[in-house]
Amino acid sequence: MVEAKKHAKIGEYSTLELMAACGARAIRDREVVFVGTGLPMVAAALAKRMHAKNAKIVYEAGFIDSNAVDIALSIADSRLAYRASAAVGLIETLGLMLQGGHVDVGFVGAAQIDEYGNLNTTYIGDFEHPKVRLPGSGGGNDIVSSAKRIVVIMKHEKRKFVKKLDYVTSPGYIDGPGVRERVGLKGGGPVLVVTDLCQMGFDEKSKRLKLLTVHPSITAEQVLENVSCDLIVEGRVPETEPPTFEELSLLRAIDPHGIYIPKPNKKQP
Amino acid sequence: MVEAEVEDKRITLKEAVKLVHDGAHLFWGGFGFQRPPMAFAHELVRQKKRNLTIYTCGSEIDIDILSGARVVSRFEMAFYAIEGIGLAPNIQRRIREGSIEIEDYTNLAMALRFLGGALGVPFMPLKSMLGTDMLTKYRFRKDKAKVIDCPFTNEKVVLVPSVNPDFSIVHACRVDKEGNAQIDGTRGEDIEGARAGKKTIVLAEEIVDSSVIRMQPDQTVIPNIYVSHVVECPWGAYPMMVYNYYDYDMEHIRMYYERCQTEEGWQKYCEDYITSVDSHMEFLQKIGVERLMKLRAKKPFGY
Repeated sequence: MVEAKKHAKIGEYSTLELMAACGARAIRDREVVFVGTGLPMVAAALAKRMHAKNAKIVYEAGFIDSNAVDIALSIADSRLAYRASAAVGLIETLGLMLQGGHVDVGFVGAAQIDEYGNLNTTYIGDFEHPKVRLPGSGGGNDIVSSAKRIVVIMKHEKRKFVKKLDYVTSPGYIDGPGVRERVGLKGGGPVLVVTDLCQMGFDEKSKRLKLLTVHPSITAEQVLENVSCDLIVEGRVPETEPPTFEELSLLRAIDPHGIYIPKPNKKQP
Repeated sequence: MVEAEVEDKRITLKEAVKLVHDGAHLFWGGFGFQRPPMAFAHELVRQKKRNLTIYTCGSEIDIDILSGARVVSRFEMAFYAIEGIGLAPNIQRRIREGSIEIEDYTNLAMALRFLGGALGVPFMPLKSMLGTDMLTKYRFRKDKAKVIDCPFTNEKVVLVPSVNPDFSIVHACRVDKEGNAQIDGTRGEDIEGARAGKKTIVLAEEIVDSSVIRMQPDQTVIPNIYVSHVVECPWGAYPMMVYNYYDYDMEHIRMYYERCQTEEGWQKYCEDYITSVDSHMEFLQKIGVERLMKLRAKKPFGY
């Protein structure tokens, strides 16, 4: 008999821990995973300690099959070289591996997303007179263009889920099914959007954003109130599987100082 | 038997920076927190260089300093921020003032532009940027990128223009006086960038005897044929990191970020750490031996 998974209850985990667990579950064993710093790094580390022990984590700065034991702050952080199989450069990671078609899943963040999963990480406001110049694409556009599938992890705010992006940095399904292929993109596009309220995917026919699960204590109505774009909601939306105690203890060991998943206040002196 | 003459390309940091004229175009090496030419950036500020154009993939506090001190007016690049902390404060401010323009590309596009320049071909093809505003919106480079139908397969391909900047600036781990350079850890886009410039200046943590290089020639990522000048520059990426040499100083980086939230704070930082000292050595003395020693890389970690 397989022992039933022991799930934590609300109050026993933080939303960021739930988001990291959702990200980890999107990684399958033996996959090549392209991640950036932040929550995706923690999610990938969790997957490697759970169900995807043979996943290979690639960081665009040039670290291949990284087995870092310390949390890195930069994508080029020396911490990511620890027990890596190779340390190379960008032409290798973004060009030969990613564009060459070897990356199964890529993780990215975004300041804005639209209903076709297009992403903005460059400007807030009008291009000619922007309010804020964000970091830019970095390798983001390359990852979203060429990885077989994409997971987006971002904060859920009404102003971030928009009808029209201020600037299209990275391509989702552009404006409908078949358009990625038509413009010449090789990668498969976004399949999952993880936020602090829910998980979303994309409707197979229309390639538009669709609610998949709502996090415990969140309702579909609450999610709808927090988007400015259209969101497909079909029937009763299931609840996101909460983190298990095993996932939580691993997450807390991966990021012991709470760099990407801050510790609950009660634990602070 | 006639002994082969060993060319000595060593010059000082001050001499190297003097070569860079106002308005010059530079390839800027390092990637993220790894091996940015910080000491070179400080000296560019001290020598009051103006109106430079910088080509790079992603850089952080180094290019933020160059922006704050009004050394750079244009960037062609993919990413800027101070990772783990926030947006680069001086770049933000200079963009708002209208004194800096950024032409934005992706990391792969920039790395390929350097590779194209190094290969001596006018453009490179890639499969990024398709279907986005990165193809259609530009600041100052009208010929930013073009989409063509491949003449062989008819598939859509993006072309980006190659770059051959006046200078390539790279901070390596080891170099000999002839200019054979070795880099431990990730190379970012430095291999292509070092070969794209009309002149390449290699700064390094240490200058080693040629025999050290020649005992492990497979570790040489920039052979001397590409290198014009060599500068010995220990702790040259501080407060950022060099794999196998030292870790970053997050306390200093956070202090920089906090101070630079205001123009006055930035001016004070610039005076305290850059313009009130005469040289890189004096800057290191200001940081202090004790602090630097704590950052030295520990085996087997390399940080």
